[in-house]
Amino acid sequence: MRNIKARDIIFIALIILAVVVLALPTLLGSLGPLPPTNIRSIAINYLNATYNQLNPGLWTSSPEAVAAIVWDYRGLDTLFETAVFYSAIIAALVLYRDILGEKDVLKGRGLSIVVQRATAISMVGILVVGAATILHGQLTPGGGFQGGAIAAVAPVIAIVVFSRFLIDRSRLSYKHLLLVRNIALACIALIPLIPIISLAIGYSQVFIFQNQVKAVSNFTFPQIIIDVPMGGTIWFFNLFEGLAVVSAFSLAVIVIFYSEEMSRKAIEGEDIGF
Amino acid sequence: MLTLADLVFIMLGISALVSIPATILAIISRDLIKAVIFSALQSTFYALMFYLLMAPDIVLVYIAVSIGFMSMILILLIKKVGRYEKY
Repeated sequence: MRNIKARDIIFIALIILAVVVLALPTLLGSLGPLPPTNIRSIAINYLNATYNQLNPGLWTSSPEAVAAIVWDYRGLDTLFETAVFYSAIIAALVLYRDILGEKDVLKGRGLSIVVQRATAISMVGILVVGAATILHGQLTPGGGFQGGAIAAVAPVIAIVVFSRFLIDRSRLSYKHLLLVRNIALACIALIPLIPIISLAIGYSQVFIFQNQVKAVSNFTFPQIIIDVPMGGTIWFFNLFEGLAVVSAFSLAVIVIFYSEEMSRKAIEGEDIGF
Repeated sequence: MLTLADLVFIMLGISALVSIPATILAIISRDLIKAVIFSALQSTFYALMFYLLMAPDIVLVYIAVSIGFMSMILILLIKKVGRYEKY
């Protein structure tokens, strides 16, 4: 047992103080009742303007309140989040531009057969949960980014458990992932323009990004396909955002997991200026 | 008599309190792999708190990123720089 110093006592006292300072107002009810027993007036306004099934001009056709409010009010947040995320991925790829798409020099065999089988089974589960989160984004919490992040855990553990060598031999190559990511991003950019195409088949007035029917425009995306509420464009955005996030995360992981020999090649010569 | 709101408060308080030692251990631990595990433990309790605060969409992305990716990238880094902190 090492001897206790004065700074340890001060450290613990400060932690306890911080806990008390945060806990007291909470216990005295500063957050209000959890969960709230009544709907506040601002919430009523938001729900009337987004989740209003009785007024099709305001209804996003997404039967989930969070998706409806994100679509109508918080879309700009999501746009900038996505922009930051893809910029970060592009920066990571640029850092390794000399070795992108090359096979690794190491010939690893991965972990033991027991771990490999167990991981193979659980990977199917991870992918299914990710796909369900992406495809049910208009019905349940979560959506493209969340589902994509869940599904992207699968390639990470695949690299750790089955070794890099197997990934290099598989079809999960740099070129294929980049292709999927670029197609998904292009689709995200093109979907808002679909209403413009409908001008050619007789609609008189449409809006870019239009989802459901408006007071001055009859154009609408399908609300229900077979018996599933589709949320109009929300489903398509979720799908392509999910694909883009999975492929971007996989690209970043594949780049990060290059062996030390390969990683050094990428920064060779930087100390003397080229 | 415990109401649902009291139960939510109690669970929030317990997860917040348990996350504090996990954070402290993550900071003072010399074994960096253990520090990563403590950090993931703290993230787990934070995810529970987000769920109790009714933000299920945050929970979904928080679990994948802060427990999955963060730990993975940190462990990869530790593999390159050495496991034990010396000073």
